[in-house]
Amino acid sequence: VDINRLETARLFHRFGFGPRPGEFVNAVNAGVSATREKLFANSGTDSGLTNIPQLVLADLGKRPSPNDPQRASYSSEIRRQNNELTTWWLDRMVLADFSLQEKATWFWHGHWATSIKKLNFALPMYKQHQTLQKYALGNFDQMVSAMLDDGALQFWLDGQENTAKSPNENLARELMELFTLGVGRYSEADVKELSRALTGVQVARSSGEVTFKKSRFDEGTKSILGVSQNFDRTSAGKFLVSQPNSKRFITERFWYRYMSSQFPLPANTNIEGAFESREIRELLLALASSDAMKDTRYELVKSPVEWFVAVCRALNIMPSNLSKNSALLNFLNKLAQVPFDPPNVGGWPTDDAWLSSASAQFRASFATWLVAQGDLSPIENLTPGERVQKTADLLGVVEWSDRTKSALEGNVKNSKRLILLAICSPEYLVSA
Amino acid sequence: MDTVTRRKFLQLTAGTSIGAAAAFLSIDDIAAAASSRPLASGTPILVIVTLYGGNDGLNTVIPFKDPIYYSSRPDISYKQESVLQLDSQYGLNPSMTGIANLWKDGKVAIVRGAGYPSPDRSHFSSMAKWQSGSPKTLSKSGWIGRWIDSQPDDPMLAISLGSVLPPLLAGEKKVGSALPLGGLVIPQGTVGADFRKLSLPSTADSKLRSLAANSMKDLFNISEKITPILKKPEPTEVELPTINGGNAGGDSNLTQQLNIVSKLIQADAPTRVWSVSLGGFDTHANEANAQSILLGSVSSAIDKFMSGLKSSKHGADVVVLVYSEFGRRVVGNASKGTDHGTSGPMFIIGDRIKGGFYGDQPSLSKLVDGDLSVTTDFRDVYASLIEDVLKSPADRYLNNWKGRTKFYKAR
Repeated sequence: VDINRLETARLFHRFGFGPRPGEFVNAVNAGVSATREKLFANSGTDSGLTNIPQLVLADLGKRPSPNDPQRASYSSEIRRQNNELTTWWLDRMVLADFSLQEKATWFWHGHWATSIKKLNFALPMYKQHQTLQKYALGNFDQMVSAMLDDGALQFWLDGQENTAKSPNENLARELMELFTLGVGRYSEADVKELSRALTGVQVARSSGEVTFKKSRFDEGTKSILGVSQNFDRTSAGKFLVSQPNSKRFITERFWYRYMSSQFPLPANTNIEGAFESREIRELLLALASSDAMKDTRYELVKSPVEWFVAVCRALNIMPSNLSKNSALLNFLNKLAQVPFDPPNVGGWPTDDAWLSSASAQFRASFATWLVAQGDLSPIENLTPGERVQKTADLLGVVEWSDRTKSALEGNVKNSKRLILLAICSPEYLVSA
Repeated sequence: MDTVTRRKFLQLTAGTSIGAAAAFLSIDDIAAAASSRPLASGTPILVIVTLYGGNDGLNTVIPFKDPIYYSSRPDISYKQESVLQLDSQYGLNPSMTGIANLWKDGKVAIVRGAGYPSPDRSHFSSMAKWQSGSPKTLSKSGWIGRWIDSQPDDPMLAISLGSVLPPLLAGEKKVGSALPLGGLVIPQGTVGADFRKLSLPSTADSKLRSLAANSMKDLFNISEKITPILKKPEPTEVELPTINGGNAGGDSNLTQQLNIVSKLIQADAPTRVWSVSLGGFDTHANEANAQSILLGSVSSAIDKFMSGLKSSKHGADVVVLVYSEFGRRVVGNASKGTDHGTSGPMFIIGDRIKGGFYGDQPSLSKLVDGDLSVTTDFRDVYASLIEDVLKSPADRYLNNWKGRTKFYKAR
């Protein structure tokens, strides 16, 4: 394996959403450290995003009663906003120049895994997205504080039901298990105490607006992980983030999604050390610079959204311009991954979970639909003899196996078919 | 909503993942197998129904004579006159008329207080324990997966409905298969031939790349034999609540899943284990109505499933197991819901089951940290199912577990 191509491909596909035409070859020529530097460079404003239509989301307020004639239009407005929000984010993933941030935002969405299925409204989900976007590469401590003020997360995990009189443990448990520390790094008593610290929050569901009601807050002393004080949600969040286990856990989660879900984070790694200050960008940079990037064991399957976005970037497709928005969302739904709708609070699965024959079938139809609408000129403009290798370069594939090469070579005169097969190939589906 | 949301729960905690290679199949394989090597009648079939989210056992099998039940949850208890009485002390949730009728026919075993030592209240950890069948030292394989390991290679052996495989069916070396919900669309003609080429094995393939190639292999040669069976009208599904309780995984259309399983059993598919699921049981708030609708759906889906199979030659061979990752706290919370608890009832249903109660009802006056005690280890039930239904020695799959629950009628 050409290690230079391997590392370059990993930088593009894992730390971003895949290369645009020409980018991969240029990067291979520029070398890994120059590519990494470029990937991590933030110019401030992302000019790639300027073409995305402004999202208009109004607070829809309370649902009209069943016999109110407004009810039907209210429901269809909910659907419209939800679909628009989803497509808007897909547009961002495809068009962003600063792919590192977009990809990290996607990671954090899977981490805090809040579903619009329970919220029902786009506006609170959009607000959560703004928060995740803001802190995606920022400070984890600040992110946790902001998320505990997030209406969508609070509602998703019944935070508004958690009162001094009767605590509801849902948010407290997941805050430790899934968001900050990891399972088994706290006791059941800690869950109960933490839920007391998180009391007092009320959420307006349609807007995601959070208010704090002192009368619902438990003013007593809470003992969390052996420390007793009058914790509230902010101080408890900060306290959890300050634990060495949060450094370990977040490093493990990035390892799991960016490097390998098959192999655990190696024990003797210095990656974790980069997260001492809880600066997420530093952690990602350490991961992107680590020796693991050269290790061929650490393959990773592209999830359906990652695969779709990478195809769009390579074929210059803007998701909102695709022929039928409902078809797009239906394909993603069939592949079991729609942004803003994770299956559960643990987020989406990884690797072989995406490799069923059912998925293969839906992916093949999805790919056919996409290729018909894509810009194939980067390949069409070449002579047939160059096309197979140049398709690997276009897509950021390290190398074709003989199997795939032979399937592609039978189609060098048919660019559409060639690209269709290439994006469905095991070498593209799996990030080497 | 037909989104497939069953999850690989074992993968959700960092560093854990299923070690085995997935080998998926498609409907054509089942069709071919059903006609070329039909399941012999008399071969027991196990159908596993997983309820995701933590089903509230106390409002499933209700101790309607116990004053502590009523004082513990004033907002969400069921009155004696509303429950479906099973005996003088216990009754089913009012929505479970189908299972109540099966109980009257003597076909329902209810194992009370089922769980495992040192209960874990995390959805993901607890479900991993139930599905691995190894609660103490968490195994990467599932209890059925290890049985699959020991059987001759056969992708039909154990099938899960939906496109994502539950860890239950993952062995160390082999795994069960997944069958998608909804019709298959297969690439035809020359493009089909090209896709077939992509699915060939390559020596250069890594583990995941070879799995990706395999997933395409199974798409082809769809048989016309099974498609018409699957195209028979589907029963309509009650609308399930999605507002509450849905944040812990599981599928949403149990009736549809069991309907497909029923048709494939009737077609003589050589499958010994089927896995289906229903999500939505994580009822931290406003539980009563939501749980009742869900339990009603479970009950009617199983009732329809069993009665649909009555005329089939396999009808008497089917054993249905229903379980959830934990029960819920005895005392309700202020949100008219319940938080994560510990033990709960398991249901085992079938013609060959000796109906009745098994295991002691955990006492409401002797709680452990506010939770129900565990009176029957779920491995007792698993071991009996492996021996009686799967006809295999249970010890090797359950680390020499000795307990058994005798709910099976030898014929």
